[in-house]
Amino acid sequence: MARYGMLINTKKCVGCYACRIACQMKNHLEPTEAFIRYEERETGEYPSVYSEIIPLQCQHCEDAPCAAVCPTHATYITDSGVVLVDENKCIGCKYCMAACPYGARIVREETGVVEKCRFCWEDGKPGDPPACVGTCISGARVFGDLDDPASEVSKAIAEYNAQPIAGDLTKSKIFYVR
Amino acid sequence: MTGISRRTFLRGTAATAALAAAAGSLSFGAWQAEQAHAAGDAVEEAPSLCNGCSSKCGLVATTVGGRLWTLRGSDVHPYAKGHICGRGHGLAQMAYSDERLTSPMRRTESGEFEPISWDDAFAEIGQKVKEIIAANGPESLAIIQDPRPSGKYYSKRFMNALGSPNVYAHSSSCNLSKESAYTYTIGASNYSTDFGNAKMVMFIGRSYGDGIRPSSVASLAAAAEAGTRIVSVDPRLNNSGIFSDDWVPINPGTDLAFLMAMCNVLIEEDLYDHEFVEQNTVGFEEFAAQAKECTPAWAETITDVPAERIEELARAMAAAAPAASIEAGWRAVIGCAYKNSFDTARAATAVNALLGCWGQKGGALLTSSPKAGKLDDARFDDPPKPEAKAIGAKEYPLALASAGTNVAALEAALDGRLKGMFFYNSNAAKGYAQPKAWTEALGKLDLVVTIDVQMSETALQSDYVLPECTYLERLELPEWIGGKKHFVGMRTRVLEPIHPETKACDEIFNGLAEACGVGEYFQFTAEELAAAQLKTVGVDIETIKKEGTVELADPKFAYGTPTFKTASGKFEFKTDAVGEAGLNPVIGYVERKVTPKVGEFYIVGGKQGIHSHTMTQNIAALNAISRQYNMERLWMSAKDAESLGIADGDTVELSSSEHTGTVAVRVTQRMKPGVLFLPTHYGGDSPYQTRAYQYGVALTDFIPFDAEPGVGSMMSQEVAVTVTKVEA
Repeated sequence: MARYGMLINTKKCVGCYACRIACQMKNHLEPTEAFIRYEERETGEYPSVYSEIIPLQCQHCEDAPCAAVCPTHATYITDSGVVLVDENKCIGCKYCMAACPYGARIVREETGVVEKCRFCWEDGKPGDPPACVGTCISGARVFGDLDDPASEVSKAIAEYNAQPIAGDLTKSKIFYVR
Repeated sequence: MTGISRRTFLRGTAATAALAAAAGSLSFGAWQAEQAHAAGDAVEEAPSLCNGCSSKCGLVATTVGGRLWTLRGSDVHPYAKGHICGRGHGLAQMAYSDERLTSPMRRTESGEFEPISWDDAFAEIGQKVKEIIAANGPESLAIIQDPRPSGKYYSKRFMNALGSPNVYAHSSSCNLSKESAYTYTIGASNYSTDFGNAKMVMFIGRSYGDGIRPSSVASLAAAAEAGTRIVSVDPRLNNSGIFSDDWVPINPGTDLAFLMAMCNVLIEEDLYDHEFVEQNTVGFEEFAAQAKECTPAWAETITDVPAERIEELARAMAAAAPAASIEAGWRAVIGCAYKNSFDTARAATAVNALLGCWGQKGGALLTSSPKAGKLDDARFDDPPKPEAKAIGAKEYPLALASAGTNVAALEAALDGRLKGMFFYNSNAAKGYAQPKAWTEALGKLDLVVTIDVQMSETALQSDYVLPECTYLERLELPEWIGGKKHFVGMRTRVLEPIHPETKACDEIFNGLAEACGVGEYFQFTAEELAAAQLKTVGVDIETIKKEGTVELADPKFAYGTPTFKTASGKFEFKTDAVGEAGLNPVIGYVERKVTPKVGEFYIVGGKQGIHSHTMTQNIAALNAISRQYNMERLWMSAKDAESLGIADGDTVELSSSEHTGTVAVRVTQRMKPGVLFLPTHYGGDSPYQTRAYQYGVALTDFIPFDAEPGVGSMMSQEVAVTVTKVEA
């Protein structure tokens, strides 16, 4: 069984928002709803300043706080490690939103269901690749099987020594190059 | 998107309840497939070319039941290479906008718009055109268009058929100075950087990460990763900064002094390519004499770039040559911003000449472009060439003829030489030169007709507004793409027309031509012409309808000194035609027009990756991003903000000689103190575009109406501004 994860290289991200909008279209989100949000950081002082844009979304944690607090088990983790929401079990209590350290969950306007990135899951597997990865103009995103050392994502994580955004806080499966 | 959210999709079907109940155990995708199947909705793919910017990237759209679902970049198209940027995804959603134009409109005497039929619109416009021609001649008519595959062809053909030579692109507010300058120095309007083999590349004001073409960003990212030294000369640390080894903050509009000082170092320290200069250039001695005066110490006083830094950069470029070059740039500092933009562009090519990098591996490349061959069918013959020269050709002789300067058209509308104007896919009255001047000009004209998909500020001031369908709903003429390899791409009809009273470009111009009495030159559809053009290069139209973008015969690009298609056949450090236009014939230093006094700021504008000027402002998905991230803000350096007592998010009053507006401030370490940055596409004035209306401020409102000598660019940043904090 695969264990899916992603690499996001902020050293290649120009902040074009293609990932956000491609995701919205693929997942039928409203214009104001997004599974991806962005943090912009400036470090240093003029003229020695470094600026980075950090795309954030569901980190598909192995210790997923959102799943742990969900009273109806609407949030669950597939065998391949993808965190999903069963919208028919979600009662909209928003516990998951409070529990998620990454601010990755949103309430869908039309349904009241609390949703998030699902790696474009369909037909029992993630998107090939997910919409955000497919559209990324600079190759800042890489997706694949973390358990396969020969996968593109595993090789990229090793090459760049990419790290989860919050260390080992939740055993997340999106690795960042910063 | 306002499109098929899952629940609205469900709501409309009879099987709603049963399917919703059954959906519990289904994945989203499986549900979707089932839903599509249940509704008999086929999932289909069709190709097009994006309309988000002038790159026109190839894309493949996926539809469900005829409704747009997703886009992906064409793998074949050289600008997309499989990827589409944010504004491309956003622009496609224009098709379903609740604020599109859906029927022809006529402005009444009270200034309101009323819908009219196409027949009436064509007949009334035709009548007025005939009256204008009878009274003032066809030279009193003009068209302005932001080039699109069909639009550029039909605009020119329509005007020429009427007998008018007055056809203008948007270029005077974009890249006119650059394209004109390059035509004189290197004999081509553009060139490319050989990123894959470059050791050092210097950007002058351009940012691939803000004015995005996907393949260019990918090339830059790969070069940066491979260790190419990337230098960004820009008063703002732009969004390509992540790829830059060197950020060189510079006083806006002084890049020419910086470039001349680079040339000074290369010549005075004897670091230039003697063989290239001796064999392939003209005017070097005179140029060297002018560059001799432009020392790094002199440039430091103008640019605020330390002399040692200029020297180091010039020496490093020389050491890396010929795999080192100045990148070609596009808009702003070399395109249209300053009184010296034309000469700044010429100087950039002069640096490359001294480096001997023209045509060399890792250097600056001149490549060829494909085009359609001669067409047999007499229907496609050109109308007779108008005898008169276009308005502006005399006043601005250096402007690239194929683009012209629409500033000259504006001047002619103001002084009465023009009586009627057409606008195709062009929001000149808000996005080009000073909007107040356009408003005055449009008010003086006897006839103003705008063809657009939305009620732009220009449409709002027109007598007739003709609604085009969006790009995904129309087939257009082939687009020819040059480079190391050659391609042709084409828009196909991905979506059936969403609003029945909208028409495609060719249908609109054919109707206009018929009504104006020149229908004889428009006896064909765009599809018929496209098929004929494609046939000349051996491509069947049915093939391109399926594939969207097709590679053509290999032009067999080879490295080596290129052929310069200039008057002399060589690289020109000196051009007599430039002297005859009243400018310095030799590439040399020219000051910018406006320098801020104490207490005033420089202001620079620029694109953001999700927007294309005013065109994308009202698109819900893109406007939502701007608002969520407060992207309309005015950037100010932390140092300036501190001295003015301004905190991040504070509102300020921004004033120039022309305009005052209020806008929030983004306080940042990424600006050179003394310089402000304003994203150039906000501040809409059309109440028909409720999302864009009065959101932020527009740089064009602040700019005095003027033109760059000889070229006629709008000088989009020749202004000084003041900032005052608005107390809450």
